[in-house]
Amino acid sequence: MPRLHVDRLRSGDGSEDEYRVVERTGLAAWDATTALTVVGRPYPRVEGAEKVTGRACYAGDVRLAGLLHARVLRSPLPHARIRRIDTAAAEALPGVHAVLGTHSAPAIRWYPDGLLFDRTLRFVGDEVAAVAAESEETAADALRLVAVEYEPLPFVVGLEAALRPEAPPVREGGNLVGPPKVYARGDAEAALREAPVVIDETYTTQTALHNCLEPHGCTATWDGERLTLWDSTQSVFDVRERVAETLGLPEHRVRVIKHHMGGGFGSKQIAWKHAVIAALLARRAGRPVRLMLDREAENLAAGNRNATRQRVRLGATRDGTLTAISARIEQDTGAYLVGGEGSNTSAIYQTLYRCPNVTTEQVGVYTNTGPAVAFRAPGHVEGAFALESAMDELARALDMDPLALRLRNYAEADQRRGRPYTTPDGLRLCYERAAAEFGWRRDRRPSGQGSRRRGIGMAAHDWGGSGYPPGYAWVKLNGDGSAEVVTGTQDIGTGTRTGLTQIAAEELGLPLERVLLHLGDTATGVYAPVSAGSATQATIGPAVRAAAAEARRQLLEAAATMLEAAPADLQLREGTIRVAGAPDRALDVADVTRRIAPHMIQGHGARGPNPDGKAVRTFGAQCVEVEVDVDTGEVSVLRVVASHECGRIVNPTLVDSQVLGAVTQGVGFALMEERVVDAGGVVLNANLEEYKVPTAPDVPAVVHARVDRPDPEANATGAKGIGEPPLVPTAPAIANAVFDAVGVRIRHTPLSRRRLLAALAAHRPEPA
Amino acid sequence: MKPPPFDYEAPTSVEEALALLGRHGEQAKVLAGGQSLMPMLSFRLVRPRIVVDVNDIPALAGIREVDGTLAIGAMTRQRAVEQSALVRRRCPLLADAMPQIGHFQIRNRGTIGGSLAHADPAAELPAVVAALGGRLVVRGPGGERQLAPEEFFVSYLTTTLEPGELLVEVRLPVAPPSTGTAFVEVSRRHGDFALVGVAASVTLDEAGACVGAAVALTGVGPTPVVAAEAAAVLVGGRPDARALEEAGRRAAAAVRPDSDLHASAEYRTHVAGVLTRRALARAVERAQGGGEAVTP
Repeated sequence: MPRLHVDRLRSGDGSEDEYRVVERTGLAAWDATTALTVVGRPYPRVEGAEKVTGRACYAGDVRLAGLLHARVLRSPLPHARIRRIDTAAAEALPGVHAVLGTHSAPAIRWYPDGLLFDRTLRFVGDEVAAVAAESEETAADALRLVAVEYEPLPFVVGLEAALRPEAPPVREGGNLVGPPKVYARGDAEAALREAPVVIDETYTTQTALHNCLEPHGCTATWDGERLTLWDSTQSVFDVRERVAETLGLPEHRVRVIKHHMGGGFGSKQIAWKHAVIAALLARRAGRPVRLMLDREAENLAAGNRNATRQRVRLGATRDGTLTAISARIEQDTGAYLVGGEGSNTSAIYQTLYRCPNVTTEQVGVYTNTGPAVAFRAPGHVEGAFALESAMDELARALDMDPLALRLRNYAEADQRRGRPYTTPDGLRLCYERAAAEFGWRRDRRPSGQGSRRRGIGMAAHDWGGSGYPPGYAWVKLNGDGSAEVVTGTQDIGTGTRTGLTQIAAEELGLPLERVLLHLGDTATGVYAPVSAGSATQATIGPAVRAAAAEARRQLLEAAATMLEAAPADLQLREGTIRVAGAPDRALDVADVTRRIAPHMIQGHGARGPNPDGKAVRTFGAQCVEVEVDVDTGEVSVLRVVASHECGRIVNPTLVDSQVLGAVTQGVGFALMEERVVDAGGVVLNANLEEYKVPTAPDVPAVVHARVDRPDPEANATGAKGIGEPPLVPTAPAIANAVFDAVGVRIRHTPLSRRRLLAALAAHRPEPA
Repeated sequence: MKPPPFDYEAPTSVEEALALLGRHGEQAKVLAGGQSLMPMLSFRLVRPRIVVDVNDIPALAGIREVDGTLAIGAMTRQRAVEQSALVRRRCPLLADAMPQIGHFQIRNRGTIGGSLAHADPAAELPAVVAALGGRLVVRGPGGERQLAPEEFFVSYLTTTLEPGELLVEVRLPVAPPSTGTAFVEVSRRHGDFALVGVAASVTLDEAGACVGAAVALTGVGPTPVVAAEAAAVLVGGRPDARALEEAGRRAAAAVRPDSDLHASAEYRTHVAGVLTRRALARAVERAQGGGEAVTP
């Protein structure tokens, strides 16, 4: 059983004491020498058949008797105050059962400084009113009958405009989200003054939209004072807490369910307004309500990756040793604080390279556009584009191989906290595997014919992905020898269900099909944190293993009695328990569980602590080859080799899928995707026709050069996260390859054809 | 969302269809392959009182050669045209254009007539018909009329089809011997509408001199643009690199595209020149190869 230790950490300054809670499981980690039979195998997704046959039930698929459909009226103006709102005509429309707006909704606090339905609107898409009706179409018709008188207010769109002294304020107090976050070690300014080689460039990244296949939304139903929400969320427990608090309900009267999910990418890691709006509409109508955002609303009001502007300065000696890194970062937080302000663009500057003098300064900027929220490796994707482009520029300035430059400045420890990595050679392995698989050669020259030029580029990254406590799981053995695992975590589409089932099956010595995992339900599951930060497998995997180990111990003790042997002499594999050295003395697991039934073997597991004094990180490197058409500006990514150190690979197919999906998103970020807002604050491409995400023919050949090496110091399974990391280096690797191909540097994502042609025209006079 | 309610009729003859269209006039919409109409209905951008589905009219589909022209029924699926050996042999420019229309799933349903009548300014087929000087055969209460492309295409998504009329066929001249063709385009993404597309056809004589050339562009204005001046550069001489360069320059000079979300007017103008040169170069290459168009 896990042991709960609660330590009081005296604050010493009179403020409230803090407590440190540690649950030690006493499990020896699976390391490289442990022979595993279920973990490490490429099982297809356990829920795959359900998904491909359309039976998997998503938040919007729940069909309840009397279900109503809700739609939300959204602000047409980027900044306005509602003078008057009249919903009488909407309420009178046959089929309409409930209407909410500023005038009629309870004054529920939302954002740090607003209400659920606020009179002040700060972006096109901000919530004005909501209707629940017999059909979605009736609800849409009703919204057209809501009369709103808006008082337009001055507004500002875009980072640069919002930073001007005369910029209209998005809210009182100006457009800066607090003072800059500053980090410093050493003296970067002094080192830059003395550096023989300095790179000083400014890079920008665009606002990108998540475009999860499944939009945000939920189905809400009340049973007396009990609320059930099927919500498309990355965190059922966080949604429960927020909804309960907001509606004044005790947490045990709110049940949040998320069985299957069509992607979140960070945009679903918080509780959004729709959950509370649906609950209020359902209570008012006395009927269940389904509120799913359509694609336009999804792209206006459900988060985005913040645009950034980053001034990067690197100082180096002539042999390529970094002496200074300095970054000044501004990022477009949008109109409200919903998490995007936490995107840490500074982090990668502080850790990726060994450097004694580092300064980062990061400031968030309010604009009258939809709020930014975490998006797959938030901050790192943006920071890596600038830093890894700048490193390539430095390599060119030094006439050095970009790979050699990176190896010269290799970091073996987390320099922020002065802790060695548990895998100090992790990134080196990635460089080696990626370079070998790709055929990276310093002397390779750009190639191509006529107007089509080919080039190669690379980029690296680090990231978290360690997982962390707390997180819990239970294991139950049924009378027939099958096992059920219960946890409150979510499978947001990554394959968590499958990976965790493999962990349980391995520890229980059962074939995979004899184990079933339940997740995504606050009523039946035990606490698990938000599925974010590439942490789920590394957070809940060890908890599942601990629970399974506890069940296994009891199972073997019971079997030992029946087999008249010592538990330590028993072997458990493939559902059979054998006495070591006596192959004829054996029992199926079911023989044991049946004999003790209805008594039940249960195991409880908790996530143990991360190692003291060390930093658990993930690493990676990617090499890409591109072809640039110098006449049309088209860039084609021909191939990508990706190598990522994420500890033990629990399921190679699932990990390959994460790499492929992330690289695809990276290609989109580098070349296609950009939210476009016009001068009036209107998003021009809030749909999948105009907002371009890569489709299957746009995806390059992606080779995943696996680094499958357990990190036993990280946790008891040796596995770390892979969900976000492979997105981080793709865009800078592409930009670096474009430079290699045609000799022009594009410092802005997406690398548009217009920019590329303009740079080419400036770079090379037209042939006469 | 679902479309707003509408009545639905599926006539089995052209006469029956014309009667329905005559009766309902502007209240009716013709459903061909549904690749544009169905999304517009679902977005509720169009709200017709009646949808006249012409998919059950067998007489509207088919490809035949008549008097030196290829006659293609309006309801012929784009995929059928793409896979037609007759089209490949007799009208290679049309064959070249087909794979660039959307994705094959779209072409399985999409029809020749549907695309032409929809008149998207970035569509491929209007440019092909314009380059070749084809004829659009329209039937209505007043009988049949045959329209040249410049008489048919008026503006963005707008043609001279009157309410009550139906596009029934398109006629394209059969390519003379020693003709090479090409359709090239640039789009944001594979399968997207063209930012700029160029249809080109070149006919050579036995000595290798150009005796006929045609160029039309799509995506650079409200209707397809026939770049006659660009084509004229080639006629009467050997189509060498200098001539091709000049043709590209003239094509760029002939277009006045708009800027939009996806490309600036400058970019489209520049690319119009580049693609005209490329399309003509490929057409020449094929004409020199004996007129046999080869899939790129």
